[in-house]
Amino acid sequence: MKSIIIKFAAASCIIIAAVSCETKINPELQAADPILVVDAWLNNKPGNQVILLTKTQSYFDNTLPPVVGGALVSVTDNNGMIFSFNEEPANSGIYIWKPIANEVFGTIGNSYTLNVQAEGEVFKATSKMGGSTPLDSIILKKNEPTQINPDFYRAQFYAKDLIGIGNTYWIRTYKNGILLNKPSDINVAYDAGFSAGGSFDGITFIPPIRGRMNPNDKDANDKALSPYVPGDSVYVEIHSVTNEAFYYLQQVSIQTNRPGGFSELFARPIANVPTNIVNLNTTGKKALGFFNVAAVFGKGQKFVKK
Amino acid sequence: MRFLLVVLLFSVFSGVAQTANKLTISGYIKDASNGEALIGATVYIVETKNGGVTNEYGFYSITIPSADYTLHYSYLGYSTVTKTLTLDKNTRIDIELSSEAEQLQEVVVQAGVEQANVQNLEMSTNKLDIKTIQRIPSFLGESDLIRSLQLLPGVSTVGEGAGGFNVRGGSVGQNLILLDEAPVYNSSHLLGFFSVFNPDAVKEVKLYKGAIPARYGGRLSSLLDVRMKEGNSKKLEVTGGIGSIFSRVAVEAPLIKDKASFIIAIRRSYIDVLARPFVKLLQDGGALNFYDITLKANYNINPKNRVYLSGYFGRDNFKFDKNQGFSWGNATTTLRWNHIFNDRLFSNFTAVYSNYDYSLQFGRDDKDSFKWSSVISNYIVKPQFTYFINGNNELNFGAEFIYYNFEPANAVGVSNGQPTDVSIAKKYNLENAIYVSNSQKISKALSIDYGLRYSLFHYLGPDSTYTYGNALPGKRRLPITRKYNKSGDVIASYNNLEPRFSFKLQATDMASIKGSYSRMVQYLHLISNTTASNPLDVWNPSTNNVKPQLSDQYTLGYFRDIGKERKYEISVEAYWRDNQNQVDYVDGADLLLNRYLEGDLVSGQGRAYGIETYFQKKTGRLTGWVSYTLARSELKVEGINKGDWYPTRFNQTHNLKIAAFYEISKRWSFSADFIYVSGTPATFPTSRYVSQGILVPYNATESRGNVELPDYHRLDFSFRLEGKKEKNGRKRKNSDYWVFGIYNLYARENPFSIYFSQTDKRVPQGQPISSQATQLAIIGTLIPSISYNFKF
Repeated sequence: MKSIIIKFAAASCIIIAAVSCETKINPELQAADPILVVDAWLNNKPGNQVILLTKTQSYFDNTLPPVVGGALVSVTDNNGMIFSFNEEPANSGIYIWKPIANEVFGTIGNSYTLNVQAEGEVFKATSKMGGSTPLDSIILKKNEPTQINPDFYRAQFYAKDLIGIGNTYWIRTYKNGILLNKPSDINVAYDAGFSAGGSFDGITFIPPIRGRMNPNDKDANDKALSPYVPGDSVYVEIHSVTNEAFYYLQQVSIQTNRPGGFSELFARPIANVPTNIVNLNTTGKKALGFFNVAAVFGKGQKFVKK
Repeated sequence: MRFLLVVLLFSVFSGVAQTANKLTISGYIKDASNGEALIGATVYIVETKNGGVTNEYGFYSITIPSADYTLHYSYLGYSTVTKTLTLDKNTRIDIELSSEAEQLQEVVVQAGVEQANVQNLEMSTNKLDIKTIQRIPSFLGESDLIRSLQLLPGVSTVGEGAGGFNVRGGSVGQNLILLDEAPVYNSSHLLGFFSVFNPDAVKEVKLYKGAIPARYGGRLSSLLDVRMKEGNSKKLEVTGGIGSIFSRVAVEAPLIKDKASFIIAIRRSYIDVLARPFVKLLQDGGALNFYDITLKANYNINPKNRVYLSGYFGRDNFKFDKNQGFSWGNATTTLRWNHIFNDRLFSNFTAVYSNYDYSLQFGRDDKDSFKWSSVISNYIVKPQFTYFINGNNELNFGAEFIYYNFEPANAVGVSNGQPTDVSIAKKYNLENAIYVSNSQKISKALSIDYGLRYSLFHYLGPDSTYTYGNALPGKRRLPITRKYNKSGDVIASYNNLEPRFSFKLQATDMASIKGSYSRMVQYLHLISNTTASNPLDVWNPSTNNVKPQLSDQYTLGYFRDIGKERKYEISVEAYWRDNQNQVDYVDGADLLLNRYLEGDLVSGQGRAYGIETYFQKKTGRLTGWVSYTLARSELKVEGINKGDWYPTRFNQTHNLKIAAFYEISKRWSFSADFIYVSGTPATFPTSRYVSQGILVPYNATESRGNVELPDYHRLDFSFRLEGKKEKNGRKRKNSDYWVFGIYNLYARENPFSIYFSQTDKRVPQGQPISSQATQLAIIGTLIPSISYNFKF
């Protein structure tokens, strides 16, 4: 729904956009103690599974986040199976589970509990691995040029939501092997649509979700670039996420995707993104971040030159 | 409550008893040049040193003992008419007043000389007449009613481009806006840059910020009563203008001289017309325009009966191409019948249909499309009676019946050829009220007004209702049960007694003290969690899960005239408001197309308090006012801001407005306004963290509104040049004037918001992400304008 409002704002600015202006500023911010951030998004793709432990830093500190080393990290499932995540000796703060032979992480329908012991405190989080849905096709189309949409190539993926209410997905796109990972690339779906109250169930994902695989980038002159050109290759993944993880990612998108300008008229209040990481000691320090276990389907496509 | 009723009945009957051997003078007061009824014109009786004031339809009635009297009929800016008569029977006197032609035109905010603000029982109200609105320097040269209101004490806005206005710390959705008695649900064209009211068709605007009379209800914080012109009943008159945004034309004329007349006023933005030859989008079916049509006709059937029919239709269209775009607008129709039962009993019967709708449409082909429309419409019937019991009592009573029809979403999405109906069921509601109030002069010094309104609200079937489970405070509640209610079922009902009381203590001829208490109830809620309200915001009625909003407001004020000729007026008013059942939203709330919307709403307490000071110079070559408000507006909701009070998004501590008008010569005049307000609250993060490669802001203090944006200030001015009054030695039939203005003279970049984000560049994995703060000014430069206006 936010995208509708942004489009709407874009339409409105045509008249008065010329007079608005934006300035980069450096306001003074309150200081805060750093706290633990758990970044644990596991899935059943072949290969290693990685959990990152870092800390918050002050907002204008433009360095890499401080890492949290020396923690004990493991995941257990509802059958009592334990998956150990061991810290990389060369890379402090990175905890890895390595598969044996063709083993993959997780089974659809199982529940998982994350355990983190760091800096004298114990944190837990739970997630259930739901089913994902396969992709049918990815299609590249040249737009009919209009004043608002210039002569661009845009892509869409086609996939159907699983039947039944309450399936939630995170769609991730790799362009020429590189993950598209700006705030404007966050693409989540509740069933085939945007939200629980909207109830698009069991059908092809609605067009704005299909089209969000198009990156939104500008050249050195601040001119918008065509999202794809013939010759590009693309790979789209659909991750199953829990409803809670859907709301987490939706909030991350609301709080981080700030195109500015007139869309600020319709900005929603700033709020902290929720977390599912819980300190077992309720009076202990809080933690941030999220734990989710996903099943993944993917599909690649190379756009041929004609 | 029962006590109040007893007092009321007692005073009515005692009033009737007292008037047994008294006689009545009644009638209408009108403008001699065009026959328009004058609202708030005064009748002053020299012998008794009291009198009466005309009501919204220009009618007055005074009951006094039989004797010889001298009556002064007056209205500021008009020549006073004196009548002497021997009152030996009930007498009807209709009077026409002429405007003081040769005198330099002056700007009038408060009408009435003898019945000035100091002596009026009303408080917390501001009147703006259209001549004043036309003189205030305007944005892009378009006189605008709502932007003009924002220069008054206690009125504010979150910033340029934001729709609506905030009164005494209330939200945009807590204002009742009536256009000839019809509610207007969205008062803006082009987001909030212009309001929907065409100044050429408006007679008078009155804003009630407190002490709202018992005959009005339904919103918490204010009533904006916009009265349209009736149309010239003497001669044909055409007014119009060409501005930077709109072209306007209004035609008014008698249908039957002095008996029936009409006005039709049309405005349209014309940038798209000018741009069409150059812009392919517009040739291909794209659109970008807004327009409105205002019309009104009235017929004076006989001295006791008069009917009025008024209508408004306005629309905004934004289309990207033939099949994609947005459109929204209001439509209202009002039919009114004034009937005078006898010299002392005046009645008005109103029937209203009002509608607000929007629609949007996306998708280039039938295989993938999305169509959505939303409507709120209502039908209102309102009988109102005024009984002029005697010189000391004026009784108002009546009722109001409103039937609402909400269509939150009629929506169909087609994805890859498969349509899905995602509509949200319609809602039906009934809001009824009865009221009675009496305005009573207890002694020469003390006047009181006391009234009671009883309102009753029903949520009617058919509709599905949900109950929601518990969640942590401030978090989304999920639906647990669903119930279908059939047509005819009453799903939920609420009723409330709304007492209203005000007093005036006339300390001296020049000074008075006034106070009031009023309870207001609001059954409809404007659901909006964005910084500025927008045209897609939905109105939601009270339901089994959403309680009506309540507000208790207390005011106390001191009013004083200064100078022999009462050239200056000063007032100080303090107010305190307690609000219950205020609507707020869970973090990440989904407000559109969400059938479980109620699970995303949270309810809390509100409070607003402040002091408004106002100084006005009413006559002379230099006129104008200075208004300063010191105020605070807060909410307290469990789960937000750790459960503590936090400032609303539109909280402004200091609010200073200056407006000045100066007559340089007979042809040139100058206007200026200056605004200085403290910044509105914002929430800044303290920290940042990285989640899946994305930089997320984090506020470790968990507070809301922890910072104030920089102050907002702006100076605007305009020059007005009257066209020559004579041509070749003869008096011109036409009149015209030019307005040259500059908005935001010293080009201040006033901040609308400050937002935090990561830089737009893609960051390779393993590299640090940069964060930035951006300050946005909606208007970052000075804006010159020129407009030409004519009348013939």
